[in-house]
Amino acid sequence: MGQQGDFLQVLGEQGYDVERVFSSHKVDALHASGMVTTGTTVLAMKYRDGVLVAGDRRATAGNVVMYDRTDKVLELDRYSILAIAGVPATAFEMARILEHSFKYYRRSQLQDLSFEGKLRALSTLLKNNAPAALSGTGTVVPIFAGYDLHDTCGKIFFYDILGAEFEAVEYAVSGSGSSTIRGIMFYLNRWSQRTMVELDEEEALTLVLRLMTSAAEFDSATGGIDTQAQLYPIVKGISAEGVRSIPVERLSQLFSEKVVNHV
Amino acid sequence: MYDEPYRWIEAVANRRQYLDDQFIHGSPLVGISCAQGVLLLTFNRGTEKIYEIYDRIALGGMGHPADLEKLRFTLLDMAHVEGFQRSPSDVTASRLLKNGLAPVIKPAFEEIMRAPYIVKILLVELGTSQDRDHLFTMDYDGMFAEQREFGVLSASSSSGDRLSAEWKSFGVVASLSSALEIGLRLWGVASLLQDSSTSPEVKIEEKDKPSSTSPSETPEEAEVTTRIREMLANETLECVLLDRESGKMETYRSLGQSDLQPLIPTEFQPAT
Repeated sequence: MGQQGDFLQVLGEQGYDVERVFSSHKVDALHASGMVTTGTTVLAMKYRDGVLVAGDRRATAGNVVMYDRTDKVLELDRYSILAIAGVPATAFEMARILEHSFKYYRRSQLQDLSFEGKLRALSTLLKNNAPAALSGTGTVVPIFAGYDLHDTCGKIFFYDILGAEFEAVEYAVSGSGSSTIRGIMFYLNRWSQRTMVELDEEEALTLVLRLMTSAAEFDSATGGIDTQAQLYPIVKGISAEGVRSIPVERLSQLFSEKVVNHV
Repeated sequence: MYDEPYRWIEAVANRRQYLDDQFIHGSPLVGISCAQGVLLLTFNRGTEKIYEIYDRIALGGMGHPADLEKLRFTLLDMAHVEGFQRSPSDVTASRLLKNGLAPVIKPAFEEIMRAPYIVKILLVELGTSQDRDHLFTMDYDGMFAEQREFGVLSASSSSGDRLSAEWKSFGVVASLSSALEIGLRLWGVASLLQDSSTSPEVKIEEKDKPSSTSPSETPEEAEVTTRIREMLANETLECVLLDRESGKMETYRSLGQSDLQPLIPTEFQPAT
């Protein structure tokens, strides 16, 4: 029994083999032949009222678009979000493990897992996953964003494929389309009259939509906005009240007013 | 020495007597299904008795805290492994109770050389609508039962009829505040019945009048009100709502003093 609140230990006792799930498979050829689904742009940025996290909707395998309604911005609990880039099969499994680990810890120990504890849990999973990441079949490079109830502020963390953890001061990006917008974000943040953390929610959301559109313009593996299909990025906000989804109607309105027709 | 059937039966009977005695100073626990969700309440003197088990499942217990804690972990492990490996909607109170708790509690009770679990358990599951709520009680011997509309844990096993009468007399449980009112009333009736069934004077009286159906034992309305008022003034009301209207996967909500204050009927509020 998991008296220490460790859900992975409980799973292990029930015969779930974490090592096997995240271990390396000798199937590099699969990756080369384009059977592994990847390709993404996810971003997190701080603004006046907290943190915004956004992700495009496309899943690709090689040059094939597998799916255009993927949700890569996953709510792990009331105060934290995992935005995933990399191999979805592994990333979704990680998100499920984390979600259940946080729930199990809170319910069994009767207190919330600390923000540091949550970061640690994700790092551990990524480190266990290193062999699969190196073989190319299980690469996951996520962004973790959450509200730290102890320090009373929103925080953003990003990772390399081996699980090294870095705190982002203002913003973080990941995925194949991220190099495009990383430069834009750097430029805007340094030479605009106002830095990103000074933007209000409308300005920040507008920026997010413009960034995601730019990423889709230059990266074939990032899905763009399709107004006819009502296809917008998933955008979620984090504040002291917790995680909330930004409704499509709001994104759609901002897109038509401030992104498409903006002069 | 317990291999003879008679001795074994005698030992089990002694064990029942011993266990019954363990609960007489415990606080009853009430669960009610209402439109907004499932409400659980009890009074505690420092040790919590109501716990979250899964997204839509909560546990209430009476008895020894260490035993309750052990069984709580059994339920948590089972629920979370099931929810992870299958899906959260496959985690049901009925399966947790019948496949998780019953096989643990019954053998512990019947194996005379082992210590029994000193617990009574109320396991509730919030349904998508009120008619799909489930409330189960389980006794220290592993006997379980599904309850309709409300479930009560109490030391006195014979209080069922009286509690049903109280429930029927209350009428419709429409709002959360009326659920809290009937919940407190049921708690009060259960608590007074528990006292009367275990106080020595009443037992002697019963022996004198074996034919009486003991209507005199039934606590009066005023007594119930007084008891609840005393408890509210001196002990902590522990109250949890599995909230059907939360709009989230997780429905467990602990109602604190500020949530409860406006809901508690004025007749139970301390006179100012």
